[in-house]
Amino acid sequence: MPSSSKDDGRSVFLFEHFRDGMRAEDILITAGFHTRSGAPPPDVRTGCDLSISVPTSETVDAEKKLLEHGIKVWDVIFKFSGNLPELQISKLLKKVDYGGYVMVRVGNMKLTYQKKSGVIVNVSGGGCPDIPLLAVMMIGKTLDEVAPPAQTGFTLCAYTLQKAYEVALKQWKEVA
Amino acid sequence: MLLLSGTLPTSDVSLTVGRVKLDGRRMSIGDREVPPEMLSIGATAMMAAAVKTTEALGGEPPMSVVAGDLGEGAGSKLVFQYLTEEAGGLGPSIVTLHYILPLRNEFLGFVEMADYWAKRPFLVADAGALLIAKATRVCDKFDLFTPDAGEISFLADPDAGHPAYVKAALFEVDTTEVPRLIAQAYAAKNTPRYLLVKGPTDFIVEDGKIIHTVSEPNIPAMEPIGGTGDTLTGIVSALISAGFDPVKAGLIASKANRLAGALSNPTPATRVFEIVDHIGEAVRKTVDEQ
Repeated sequence: MPSSSKDDGRSVFLFEHFRDGMRAEDILITAGFHTRSGAPPPDVRTGCDLSISVPTSETVDAEKKLLEHGIKVWDVIFKFSGNLPELQISKLLKKVDYGGYVMVRVGNMKLTYQKKSGVIVNVSGGGCPDIPLLAVMMIGKTLDEVAPPAQTGFTLCAYTLQKAYEVALKQWKEVA
Repeated sequence: MLLLSGTLPTSDVSLTVGRVKLDGRRMSIGDREVPPEMLSIGATAMMAAAVKTTEALGGEPPMSVVAGDLGEGAGSKLVFQYLTEEAGGLGPSIVTLHYILPLRNEFLGFVEMADYWAKRPFLVADAGALLIAKATRVCDKFDLFTPDAGEISFLADPDAGHPAYVKAALFEVDTTEVPRLIAQAYAAKNTPRYLLVKGPTDFIVEDGKIIHTVSEPNIPAMEPIGGTGDTLTGIVSALISAGFDPVKAGLIASKANRLAGALSNPTPATRVFEIVDHIGEAVRKTVDEQ
């Protein structure tokens, strides 16, 4: 397990795709790195991104670990001393009961399914290009047969939709 | 002339520029046929609504620049590249940016270049374009945003880089305290001059002042239907292109979008193109009443 030495700030890994950031976090946590995740610093932020920081002393080993797993690091900010705002997805949940249907909203994404059958009838919200594709792929399928959106999506909108999907699937199974 | 930009959910990333046509459920952009299964949430809903609106007003169909993009960004890059390097030659009076991957350098390149066009276009942003406009702090370079409740929370939060980073306290109040969020968004300089905030009540805002609110017809089943915000963006863009003042265009668009929804007798399972079918009639009726 990597060891963290004296406090010389943290290095922030930036990625071209949000999905790479999510994979990088899993890999580094599994390997024992002291990670934190959140939105990149404002002057490099795109709005649909996730950065991962490690103590500066762990930078080289962490980048090597990511390369071993085929994760391309787009850029590294060394000795960053600010905070990375954390994702709030788990706190941004609402459910609306429409009688025969339930809408689950997480953040800016909404997924609506038919209570009885579990068929997804609508996907709404978001702003990234993978969302229309996911809508096409998911609508008309049942919650337990559809591929989870995170398998196909690249973006934070898709990841947010994944969370809505997980809530909907759990709720539907509990009631069924 | 109205130029609509966005992405299509296909792996064919090739760029297409052309007039948008809609014949029933058959959509084409220039010589590119859009498969019916792609007619859904996103750029296709926006373009269809704009076509229906221009038809109702007797104007020319909108132009569109699109490329396929499944989320990895290759098509979005082509769209930004076209907007930056070639769109000025078309001379559009209004450009609407919609479902597109937020790419920092490519986006800023276009925004900067628009300053050098013979006549700076009226710039509208929704969806991904709205996210990147805030992230790059160039909201004031735009003229109109069309955020929903989640997105106005995001604009009101000075620290959030995406609606998924919005503070929970702002998310919780999104539908009941929208005027406060609008004020916070303007105070944080995360807005253009005009906002059309869509939700259970729509707010038409100029320079931070709420000019109109529209709450009727109130159709709760509209909220789950993916693409109803996209149709609103398409309608308002077409109205502004036709010469309507942005505030008046926002008012008409809001009323017409709701009316089109009502005419479709929606349920939460209604698809957006069932609503698109009624947009022409709804726009004609709403314009006549104004």
